[in-house]
Amino acid sequence: MVTTATREKLIESNPFVDVATHLFLEDIADKQGASGLNNYLMSLATNLAKSMPEEEYDTWDELLEALKSGNSILTAFEDVFMPTKNCVVTRRSPFERGWQEYIKRVGSFSRIHEEVAAYYNSNVKPTSINSLHIIHQTFRAVAADRISVGGKRVKYAQIATVWTDGARKIVPDEWLPVLLQKAGISRTELNMLLRNNSDVWLLYTE
Amino acid sequence: MLDVALVSLIQDMSEKAGVDGTIQYWQRVGENLARRIGKEAYMGWPSFNVALREGRTGFSIEGDVIPLTDLAITDVDGDVVGYIYALKQCVFVPTILRVRYSVGELPRADRAVAEEYNNSIHDIAVCNFCVIHEKFREETAKNITIAGQQLESLLLATRGFTGETKISDRNLRKLMINPEHVRALLRNYECVYAVMMKGAKLKEGA
Repeated sequence: MVTTATREKLIESNPFVDVATHLFLEDIADKQGASGLNNYLMSLATNLAKSMPEEEYDTWDELLEALKSGNSILTAFEDVFMPTKNCVVTRRSPFERGWQEYIKRVGSFSRIHEEVAAYYNSNVKPTSINSLHIIHQTFRAVAADRISVGGKRVKYAQIATVWTDGARKIVPDEWLPVLLQKAGISRTELNMLLRNNSDVWLLYTE
Repeated sequence: MLDVALVSLIQDMSEKAGVDGTIQYWQRVGENLARRIGKEAYMGWPSFNVALREGRTGFSIEGDVIPLTDLAITDVDGDVVGYIYALKQCVFVPTILRVRYSVGELPRADRAVAEEYNNSIHDIAVCNFCVIHEKFREETAKNITIAGQQLESLLLATRGFTGETKISDRNLRKLMINPEHVRALLRNYECVYAVMMKGAKLKEGA
């Protein structure tokens, strides 16, 4: 069992590496464009999730307990709470500190981080605001696929994202009713959650 | 999270591009970060040391850097041309802990990269991250002037997560510092380096 102090350290980012990585990603984009960067980010996140151990739970409640305590790979890097059995809310983006350090030390976040998100939104799924969401959401999808509950694979879907600067991205209107129904929350409850949290997402089995 | 994702790539990268390819990659990351942080100029060593203590220099992205102002480096005329600086905790220790508690262990390539770097470039690395770190400091120093003179950074000693220590014979010889002075510093610090004016003629037997 991971202690609270260790858990805080786990969630905290390493601003030195984060800033260095953002700059390196910008260089990749210079050479390979938004599509090349998008592929790199997705493979980075996939690689990370696949390097972590698979998980199996007998019941959904066991999974919820592991998510809350940070013992599941899905919440290894983020602090979450669950307003319903299927809806997961991330309080703070694990990339926030690195981003803040970047704008403090280097300057405004390069436009390429939004451009690659636009590429991802039109070619993969329309749920990201910047490059960091590509990593995060790809990681969650691959990590969820490594978890089974009662023998069934866990599925993940992003519902909404809010970045540190206040920018918001909610899934398209035609997707929203289905996802909200699965998550067990209303549109109003979603907006309430988005006031002071960074991500609202969904876990379920088929 | 981004740091752990990068660590998960090291094994894959080392298998595809070779251990020397990973070293080049880390060096480019360190170089890029320093280049983007930009140039700085100071009137004299006191203003530089105050800026360092207050977290205003390029080096400050590493966290709390401690200027050991009792350990001045003097030139042939007895003028101060530099100081020794130290980090209480290696910037990468939190990342190593995060890898430990999320993935399970550092990839084997971590050791292999450090050993190759020690054999081929500079015998100072206690883990693969020392590669990025040394390059970052060398390049950051080039971007700073004190009284119009460019600086250089020399990595002197490191202490790794498992207690392994490395002391740079090459750089200690250059500064004419007794290794025992630096060994004593490693009891309280994990990374010790010198920042001095480039091309300074040092007093023999200092």
